[in-house]
Amino acid sequence: MVQNVAWRGERPGGSTTHAGGTSNQSRTVIGSSIAINEVVKRYGSFVAADHISLDVQPGEFITLLGPSGSGKTTLLNLVAGFQKLDGGAILVDGQPIHNVPTHKRGFGMVFQSYALFPNMTVTQNVAFPLRMAGVDRETADRRVAETLEIMRLSEHAQKNPNQMSGGQQQRVAIARSIVMRPKVVLMDEPLSALDRRLRESIQIEIRDLHQTLGSTILFVTHDQGEALTMSDRIAVMDAGKIVQVGDPVEIYRHPNNSFVAGFVGESNLIDAEIVQKRGSTMTLKNRAGFVFNAESRAAIDVGRATVLVRPERIAISNEPTQNSIPVTVTSALFLGEILRIEAQMEGGETLLIRAGDSATRHLPDVGDVLHASWGAEDCWVLQ
Amino acid sequence: MSTVTADWSAAPATPWRERLKNPAWLLVPAAGFLAFIYLLPLFDLVRIAMSGATPWVYFERVFAVPLYWDALVRTMQISFTVAFLCLLFGYPTALLIHRSRGITQMLIATAIILPYFIAILIRTYAWMVLLGRNGPINKFLQWLGILSEPAQLLFNRGSVLLGMTAVLLPLMVLSIYSSVSRLDPGLTRAAQASGAGPIATFWRVLLPLTAPGMGAGFLLVFVTALGFFITPTLLGGPGDMMFAMHITQQADFVSSEGFLQALAVVLLAITLVVVAVAGRFLGFEFIWGGGKLNETHAKPQTDDTATSTTVTERRTIGMTIADTIGWPILRLLSALPGWTGTLTVRLMGGFVIATLIVPIIVVMIISFSKASFLTFPPPGWSFRWYEKFLTDSQWISAFTSSLTIAVISSAMAVTLGGLAAMGIVRSRIKGKTILMLLLVSPVIVPPVVLGLSLYSLFLQFDLVGTIGGLAAAHAIGGIPIVVVIVAAALQGVDPKLEQAASVHGASPITVFRTVTLPAIAPGLAAAAFFAFLHSFDELVLSLFLSSANLQTLPLRLWADVNYQLNPVLAVVSTLEVLLVVGGIILARPVLARSRAA
Repeated sequence: MVQNVAWRGERPGGSTTHAGGTSNQSRTVIGSSIAINEVVKRYGSFVAADHISLDVQPGEFITLLGPSGSGKTTLLNLVAGFQKLDGGAILVDGQPIHNVPTHKRGFGMVFQSYALFPNMTVTQNVAFPLRMAGVDRETADRRVAETLEIMRLSEHAQKNPNQMSGGQQQRVAIARSIVMRPKVVLMDEPLSALDRRLRESIQIEIRDLHQTLGSTILFVTHDQGEALTMSDRIAVMDAGKIVQVGDPVEIYRHPNNSFVAGFVGESNLIDAEIVQKRGSTMTLKNRAGFVFNAESRAAIDVGRATVLVRPERIAISNEPTQNSIPVTVTSALFLGEILRIEAQMEGGETLLIRAGDSATRHLPDVGDVLHASWGAEDCWVLQ
Repeated sequence: MSTVTADWSAAPATPWRERLKNPAWLLVPAAGFLAFIYLLPLFDLVRIAMSGATPWVYFERVFAVPLYWDALVRTMQISFTVAFLCLLFGYPTALLIHRSRGITQMLIATAIILPYFIAILIRTYAWMVLLGRNGPINKFLQWLGILSEPAQLLFNRGSVLLGMTAVLLPLMVLSIYSSVSRLDPGLTRAAQASGAGPIATFWRVLLPLTAPGMGAGFLLVFVTALGFFITPTLLGGPGDMMFAMHITQQADFVSSEGFLQALAVVLLAITLVVVAVAGRFLGFEFIWGGGKLNETHAKPQTDDTATSTTVTERRTIGMTIADTIGWPILRLLSALPGWTGTLTVRLMGGFVIATLIVPIIVVMIISFSKASFLTFPPPGWSFRWYEKFLTDSQWISAFTSSLTIAVISSAMAVTLGGLAAMGIVRSRIKGKTILMLLLVSPVIVPPVVLGLSLYSLFLQFDLVGTIGGLAAAHAIGGIPIVVVIVAAALQGVDPKLEQAASVHGASPITVFRTVTLPAIAPGLAAAAFFAFLHSFDELVLSLFLSSANLQTLPLRLWADVNYQLNPVLAVVSTLEVLLVVGGIILARPVLARSRAA
């Protein structure tokens, strides 16, 4: 069955053109659906997974994103079968798997520490899952060769893993995880041991591989940039719970709460009083008395609300414009492609502004007064 | 020492003041001490062995007389069997420690380590009690109805193998455990995620990766067993004479001068050959169970393709063997339910723990017996044997001389060994591995050989039967213990801390006093304790080097074990166990701190 999938000679094409949420029409999906229902895992009195539910579509690239201790690795280990459930169920293609031992689940997995067998060569490492499955020698050799070619490792085939660089080792680990063309590939912070540049290039490689393979990928990371770049959907986790699931655009633009807003990207959270609500637009007034409009899906229409304004959505000018708020610069940094400015509003709240670099803009001095403004579509009222 | 001078000549530009600050000087006291009291007598031993009509005449006799040849073959057979048994039972035990957690892990580890620090003589005595005619095993078998009258379980090959295996098991378990615990836990998970069941994971991942630890353990046990004397003497029958026993027997005859030394040289040569071959394959680090020393000239990672291919080829051959022999068995075994492996580990590990702990507990119980002979369970309880021990001036004087000798010996070993460890870790001289090998080599030389070689030196300098002489002899074995522990502690000290202190104005001596010493203090304390125990328990050297007017506690025990097996021995054993337990409990906070550092 697996042999039918045409991936031989197919090279990962192009760079990441993925916009999130949409899936490539031409690709073959071999991945399984994963249904996580009310899953509970406790360590003594500590609840590592607190009634987590998540539906993963076949062939989806889904990322579990959260700070350390949020339960993302626990959830991955439960899916892998390294730990036993204390409650709930995990179903793969509709079949419950909690009584299936890890080695019979047929998943692929990539570890943060690579976990390459030091007593085996690259080829032997990649061939390991095939040997375990009892695939005949000839087929195994062919599949290993193909996989090594896809991961651009062919010339390293006879090396020992510990003779290779971190990036190469991780590519071997990825090759081992996909050689069976598994329906599900689990990745546990696979890039966090690599330096930034290498990380970015392997991100693209994994992304393209996902397009080619069509496996379901469950990816764990604490790096929000990585999650935004790679995922079809992101599940943001905090304190053993999933706090929001959505595609990268949704997560970034319309976070549910201040945790998601703060964890994914930089944010200004402005405390304001609701003046009125009309449809999806809300009019609010901040502490300094500045009145502005914001998009909202929140159920509330009176009282106080927290409004998210992303730093790059704030426009600045030296002169007052229509509906702008004067701010006093407290720090200004030139970061290359952008200027990072911190400024104080009249009410005392600090506003973070990221303005693109341009020929006409010069770096303001501390104490300068600027005029900041934003439109209703740049603001999001948190629930 | 020649290496030290060679290094200086390589750097002639260094002013002499700077040369005096070279930490390599710290190696000189220990090297001098060992050269005089350890190497010199061994060379002298070889000289005497070759002083016959022709250099080989005594050796020819060793190999010509069937008695000795048979003993040699027997010694090899017994040592090999013991090493094999230790491996067979030690591996599951190491896995059991590795897989358990928290308090269970601590208890199991203690059950393995505790016996390791109790004198071999006492542990062998415990087996004599256990297997004796009135011992618990005979009583239990009678109670079950398997035996109608007590059977002779002692003084045969089986009891020798059992006793030696039990005595040497901790060495094997510790050796394997150190290699199991170093494994990345991700590896077994990766194997599982790749579709390998528990047995396949064990066979393809765990076993090959822990092979060096197994090899080291096997060879350590084998080499130690080769020179074994106490256990086979007490537990064996006339047909179980080991080579070392022949040496002590011959030592009683003045006429065997020359031939006696030849016997010892043969035993020493065999030991050294085994160690040399093993070191060639495993690296000599296996002796002290540590990692490689950071040699200044050695590059840790080379991209030498020539060496890498040979490594690959060797691995591939290993794998081919594993595949052709292992897989058919594996396929059969994988039909067994999944919990079989866990159950095997638990059963075998549990059996090992029982073997190590039960004899000690039985001896402790018997020390409170009312009976005037050894019988279990005791017919009644009393402190009469404790009273007897405390009121017997011979026992007490043996105890005090042992204590005095052990304190002096420990002080000598800590001073010489501690300085040497600093010299090894901190200097940049070449040939560190060879120096380290010299410093720790006393642990592999059979004690019988060492004792015999020291005897003529001690006669010459009139040291036989002196407290200082015995303390110095015991320090030969104490130095390796101290060097290994202190070197490990020193390597754990972050050099950045010392640099930080010196950047902020501390002189080298102040740096040592305020940064280095506090950091290695736990290691030094542990080293002192273990060097103390080593001397306090030492029997074989003392047999050769003491006189009628200087009795140590182990010598008294030895005499009593051989002539009148009574419960006073159980009292001494209990006190020794309490000493070790107390020492470990006292040292625990110190050790825990050193582990955290």
